[in-house]
Amino acid sequence: MILELGEFTRVEGNGKAEVIIENGEVKEARVKIVEGPRFFELLTLGRYYWDVPDLEARICAICYLAHSFASVLGIENAFGVKVPEEIQLLRELGLIGEILESHSLHLYLLVAPDLFGYPDAIRMASKHGEIVREGLALKAFGNYIREVIGGREIHGINVKPGGFGRYPTEDELEKIDKSCDALLRFAKRAVNIFATQEVFGAVPEYHIATDGYLYGEKLIASDGERFDYFEHIEEKSLPYSFAKQSHYKESVFMTGALSRLMVKSDRLTPIAKELFEQHREKLSRGNVSLNNLAQAIELVYSLERAKEIVGKLLDHGVKGENVPIEPKEGEGIGYVEAPRGVLIHHYRIDENGNITYSNIITPTALNHALMELSLYEEARKHYGAVDENFLKHKLEETVRAFDPCISCSVHLVRL
Amino acid sequence: MKLGVFELTDCGGCALNILFLYEKLFDLLEFYEIKEFHMASSFKEHDHLDVAIVTGTVSCQRDLEVLRHARNYSNYLIALGTCATHGSVQGAVEGKIRDKLEKVYGTRANTMKALDPKPVVEYVAVDFALPGCPYDKMEIYQLLIDLAKGVEPIKKDYPVCIECKLNEYECVLVKKGLPCLGPITVGGCNAICVKSKLGCIGCRGPLPKEANPAGEFEILRNLGYDEEYLRRKFKTFARGELRW
Repeated sequence: MILELGEFTRVEGNGKAEVIIENGEVKEARVKIVEGPRFFELLTLGRYYWDVPDLEARICAICYLAHSFASVLGIENAFGVKVPEEIQLLRELGLIGEILESHSLHLYLLVAPDLFGYPDAIRMASKHGEIVREGLALKAFGNYIREVIGGREIHGINVKPGGFGRYPTEDELEKIDKSCDALLRFAKRAVNIFATQEVFGAVPEYHIATDGYLYGEKLIASDGERFDYFEHIEEKSLPYSFAKQSHYKESVFMTGALSRLMVKSDRLTPIAKELFEQHREKLSRGNVSLNNLAQAIELVYSLERAKEIVGKLLDHGVKGENVPIEPKEGEGIGYVEAPRGVLIHHYRIDENGNITYSNIITPTALNHALMELSLYEEARKHYGAVDENFLKHKLEETVRAFDPCISCSVHLVRL
Repeated sequence: MKLGVFELTDCGGCALNILFLYEKLFDLLEFYEIKEFHMASSFKEHDHLDVAIVTGTVSCQRDLEVLRHARNYSNYLIALGTCATHGSVQGAVEGKIRDKLEKVYGTRANTMKALDPKPVVEYVAVDFALPGCPYDKMEIYQLLIDLAKGVEPIKKDYPVCIECKLNEYECVLVKKGLPCLGPITVGGCNAICVKSKLGCIGCRGPLPKEANPAGEFEILRNLGYDEEYLRRKFKTFARGELRW
């Protein structure tokens, strides 16, 4: 017997799941991505490097800047270009804006209705309007940063190899500085709300993240390994899905907010660090639902860190100088932390600056195996004990905890 | 009024942009009752709709079924965003579906019933087509308000250049020689990419009627841009609709 879960709701993109039951026992769980393939690797082949980040951004609207930046880093690494601290800080600020926008969307609009027992945030707002509006305020602020750094709330083209089209003004930076203080108490409240969430989902054997907090030169794993993705991550195609599945050293792993906290808690800002310590024991259990509490702690981190960055930029003044680029033959990888985990863009470029090879691996694809394992474990735990509708609801909640982004995951492939 | 939002294959941005209306979204809810919007709600009611919004391209059999359902159950259908109106970036990937599957997934088998991506407008009649990758969120707000009030919506019929001039941005095509597609692209974005001192990449699709893509092509070729480069650039969002 196959128990079908209709298309997931309150997730980005179109996916389904099925649980295979034989002789009254749960045998297997599959996550099926039913969205059509988008072939972005083919779209960028032969294209001039300068235009590529604008195209790659369109892989995903929720984390478009993560895609733009991963693309830019891959291209710069191929050309051997290094950018100064100012540009590095502005890039980090952009990624922080995206974390704020994406985490608050996920926590307040997509997950919170489960906690409060509503089908969506709009209906939840009738009783808990204050919480929904706090979420919207955080989301709007994240989007403001994305607009300032990226050029538009969604799919701006301001992020370029070697720097930016336009640099933020002092007024814009000051506005960001002020909002960080004002919003901090909302973020702290989010930590309290999500600390009460029930714990469910599988426990991964390893966590994987980039070596810097929001982007890096290599990947790191919870066993201490520092590596390039092709050294230890194996991908395979699936007959029932447009996504591929990955394993680290043949084991199931996780990437995302929880993974970042587990392997990089030493980088946290003061209040975020304190909150992490307060909840460390719970987070260390490692179940995927704890990703939501980790996201809430990252909201606090993002506001604190954005303030630090803006402070530095205002002290030094923004020079706004791009690094000139001379195209040459090369190969480069960009590693970025999208809100939902590690994102990899890998390119080869010819001497004219045109792309000859492109490989993109997204966090939802990296988490695919763990998502299936979580569904399997949850289905085993509840099957037969609860009615079918409740079981389906539980399974959907499990998928949602990952903050999956299905649009991203449908073209994560090697040419 | 009953409203449904249906997502086919896309980046999620056109549905997400509706949520980015924030407080204005609550204003819309004074007029509309949301019957389906899977990104935002687990609530779903099969019902006749006054307005169906469809985003994305038709890229697999499932998309086609969703689109047909949306058309059959609605009075007004809005094709929202450049994927739905012109095919956008995913529609621009050239080649046949089985060749693409082989290159990317290593097999010609098409078990998931993928289709060559095409815009919504190629499969069904649409009442309104609102392009943009993404569209400006106030545009969908205005369109929905107009429909609720029975006002004839205004269609944008001018190039990005008009809004660029109104903002007094420096012309990046004339002054910097950048390949800016503003003169042949439908306005409505407030020339936001030119604000970043970069050329328009044409994400709102080609301006019909008076636009002169052949002239634009010639100007850019004379500036030294490679023909193949320009050909791909012109077609990025609009599947070869521009002729020159």
